[in-house]
Amino acid sequence: MERTSRTGALVTALTCCALLVAACGADETPQETAVGEDVDNPGEAADEAADPDPEDAVDADDAEVTVEHVQGETTVETEPEVVVTFDVGTLDTLDAMGVPVAGVPEVANVPAHLEEYAGGETSIVGSLFEPDPEEVNALDPDLIIVGGRSSEAFGELSELAPTVDLTVDNTDFLNSFGEQLGVLGEIFDREEWVEERLAVLDERVGEVSALADDAGDGLIVMTSGGEVTAYGPGSRFGLIHKDLGVAPAVEDVEEATHGDAVSFEFILEAEPDHLFVLDRDAAIGETGEAAEAVLDNELVAQTPAWENGDVHYLDEVVWYLVPTGLRSVETMVDEIDAALR
Amino acid sequence: MPGARARAASRTRGVRRWHLVAGALVLAAAAGASLFVGVTDLGPRDLVVGDDREAMVFLASRVPRLVAILLAGASMSVAGLIMQHLARNRFVAPSTAGTVESAMLGVVVATLLFTGASLVVKMAIAVAFALAGTAIFLALLRRITFRDVILVPLVGLMFGGVIRALTTFVAYRVDLLQTLSSWTTGDFSGVLRGRYELLWLAAVVAVIAYTYADRFTMAGMGRDLSVSLGLAYERTVNVGLAIVATVTGVTVVVVGAVPFLGLIVPNLVTMALGDNLRRALPLTALSGAAFVLACDVIGRTIRFPYEMPVGTVVGVVGSAIFLLLITRGRHRAR
Amino acid sequence: MHGELDVARSSAAPARGAATTTRRQRRVLVTLGAAAVVAVVAFLLVDISGDWGFALALRGRKVAAMVLVAVAIAVSTVLFQTVTHNRILTPSIMGFDSLYVLLQSVGVYFLGAVALANAPPELRFAVEATMMVAFAVVLHRWLFGRHGRDLYVLVLAGIVFGTLFSSGTNLVSRLIDPNEYQTLQDRMFASFGSVDTRLLAFSAVVVGVAVAVAWASRRELDVVALGRHPATTLGIEHRRVVNRQLVLVAVLVAVSTALVGPITFFGLLVANLARQLLGTFRHHLALPAAALLGIVALVVGQLVLERVLGYTTALSIVVDLIGGTYFLALLLKEARR
Repeated sequence: MERTSRTGALVTALTCCALLVAACGADETPQETAVGEDVDNPGEAADEAADPDPEDAVDADDAEVTVEHVQGETTVETEPEVVVTFDVGTLDTLDAMGVPVAGVPEVANVPAHLEEYAGGETSIVGSLFEPDPEEVNALDPDLIIVGGRSSEAFGELSELAPTVDLTVDNTDFLNSFGEQLGVLGEIFDREEWVEERLAVLDERVGEVSALADDAGDGLIVMTSGGEVTAYGPGSRFGLIHKDLGVAPAVEDVEEATHGDAVSFEFILEAEPDHLFVLDRDAAIGETGEAAEAVLDNELVAQTPAWENGDVHYLDEVVWYLVPTGLRSVETMVDEIDAALR
Repeated sequence: MPGARARAASRTRGVRRWHLVAGALVLAAAAGASLFVGVTDLGPRDLVVGDDREAMVFLASRVPRLVAILLAGASMSVAGLIMQHLARNRFVAPSTAGTVESAMLGVVVATLLFTGASLVVKMAIAVAFALAGTAIFLALLRRITFRDVILVPLVGLMFGGVIRALTTFVAYRVDLLQTLSSWTTGDFSGVLRGRYELLWLAAVVAVIAYTYADRFTMAGMGRDLSVSLGLAYERTVNVGLAIVATVTGVTVVVVGAVPFLGLIVPNLVTMALGDNLRRALPLTALSGAAFVLACDVIGRTIRFPYEMPVGTVVGVVGSAIFLLLITRGRHRAR
Repeated sequence: MHGELDVARSSAAPARGAATTTRRQRRVLVTLGAAAVVAVVAFLLVDISGDWGFALALRGRKVAAMVLVAVAIAVSTVLFQTVTHNRILTPSIMGFDSLYVLLQSVGVYFLGAVALANAPPELRFAVEATMMVAFAVVLHRWLFGRHGRDLYVLVLAGIVFGTLFSSGTNLVSRLIDPNEYQTLQDRMFASFGSVDTRLLAFSAVVVGVAVAVAWASRRELDVVALGRHPATTLGIEHRRVVNRQLVLVAVLVAVSTALVGPITFFGLLVANLARQLLGTFRHHLALPAAALLGIVALVVGQLVLERVLGYTTALSIVVDLIGGTYFLALLLKEARR
């Protein structure tokens, strides 16, 4: 057993080294990584940190509001100053509202107008489905917003600060979107602003629906890897049919929302007057370029849509990545409007 | 798989004839079905009295699809068979040697760097990657001294896993996961006239494989033996490698990865016919083609008018058939 | 790297007398232990800023989860390899992981993602574990049925099961709402980001019990590793032991996947590395060594993910990339000798 003492010493030495290294690491500025700027939060008392009570975050003279959302009710202080959102759609809306956002998730493809949030002033607080509670907690947020992909983290984030889930229901897109916008309006005390924007939006939707009445029918497809999938009224792009009134070219497209693989024969037989196309291969490069290559064939060429030049390549980022942002929805309506004219 | 083990010798020939007849019948039936199954309502009568549009659908969509299925099914199975022989291991197939994964990485790289590139460019890149990946795997094998039957494919799986992780890593960062998944599940829904012809390349390559069959069989006996028999061992292996990589690269780009094909079909045929490549090759090609065809017809009808990707159907049906065969236990593995 | 690499050898070295431990083996174990401690400490303290109490509590939870998962995967792989007499098979290669993913997708399909996330973890776990155990029993019939000793058929069957399950997942995922599909896709990647505390305590108990049972039967296992026939001659009820161990394997795999999701090559890596470093199959050494290696690998992987890559990818990708490359390099290095 006299051997073990030497190894024991080795272990102790190693551990000490590790502790030293770690301590040094803690003192120095964090490494330059994709995480961006680290928000230092000195002077915060650390004792209540283990399980922060949401109530503590609210100052006495702040008004509170209780809002209903997808996963229940949450009491939030009005006009919260430090906001973290895991939902990129909401980020777009808040940006439009002019509300500063303190923390956003790491996203592969940020829309151009939101690029300022990818680094710089804003903290990166984990990924869409894997929040980094430390970063979130370091910001000491007054409000956390989740939605869509990030809604699973609701329970975990609720323990850190008041959290609301603003997932938009695809099967009733515009109404649901309006409700979520209403919640934001309530929280940030911008009800009037929200109402105005929604009223304008409603008007535009009415105009587009009127156009749609005599524009014939349409089919929504997505191209990915040389193949085509179709989407129906119940899908994530269903607002084209349901809210904007474009008649579906295929009567019995199921409510299946995942996008079903279809052959070009399907498109031919559907005889759509309009073809709305999402290009999933355009991660880099010109939107529609890859999709056009896929659709340019003798079967699709026989459809009224192709013959009349009514094939519309939709903005992938807006429709696919950030479909629930206010400006995204406005852009969507504009795109369909332009398509039907 | 009828017959008792005792009459193995005579059985082999009987099985073979029975197999070929059955295979040909299945193939013919499935081919007929394939031509008349689709969204456009098209029966045999319409070919005689049909209008231009129906003729167009038939020639631009149905026939190409049938041909593409036959080519892909046959050539992938053959590639698997050759690989088994070259690596001297029943478990080595394009899907267990990193070949498919390498081709996939090539596709992702091509999609990233040449977004609007034509299919041919993408394919060339995929084939190059598949070639490089398979070569690396075989080099690994040569360096590794032990040759445990199970170890070799697991090194292959490991290698494939590393490549796949790399591919996923890239795709994850540029939000191409969904596009990636359309390559990982084989699918014939996009096949049209003018979009599948590159698969003929795979067929040509498979025919070349047939002319090399005896040399591959010899190479499968091991390097020393085959060199002493006067075989240009290195060259034979390189030809085999090129064949496998080309077939894999081309099918992955045109169709996507179909699980199993290169592993299960050759194994079943080898179980029935033994190790002679020249004899097993035609039946392997036939069974592979028939199997994929049957699965694709199922995939087209199961959720009509939508399509179920053939890769998924093959995965389910193939596993079921295979497990059934094993449980019936009517074969000898060795 | 000391020791002879002899991966092809798929039966244990004959036991020589009592459970002896050479000096070198002890040194390896101690070094691994130290490395594990260093990794854990580093994980707890690197880059810590602001709220220490909160950060430590959070990281403590994460580390606890990682330790549990590492131990579960390492132990289950070692056991599985012992009872199958094969050093290359792992539960995940035999389709356990794909089965888990299939169960998840079926769950999402019937219940919805949020409902599934909020279901009582014990219940979820019970269902998952039951299915896994059932699968293990089916596998066992393969092992010791008519074609019991035919490894060729067994491995092929494993790969086939894996494909069957993942194709099934594919089938189900086409019927799921796209947003739900995305959360499902996120689940396919192992993640320690959000470990449920309730589940953690529960898993700790389950893993603890399973590991204790495995440890208690370590000598039995050494004998089982010799092969079926020798074991029977030595008075071991081979079949019963193997049965019990397979149930353990299923439970452990269920725990680890339920906690974080599937990690493909991880078990293969640590089990083989452990045996190589130690140059023995004896379970009183292989089990702890594999577990410690597992802890080091996972903790370092997560550290890299969080601090270097900034969450831009998933842990399983990191582990597969680094671990797989390392394993291949190791094979080559050994082969060059």
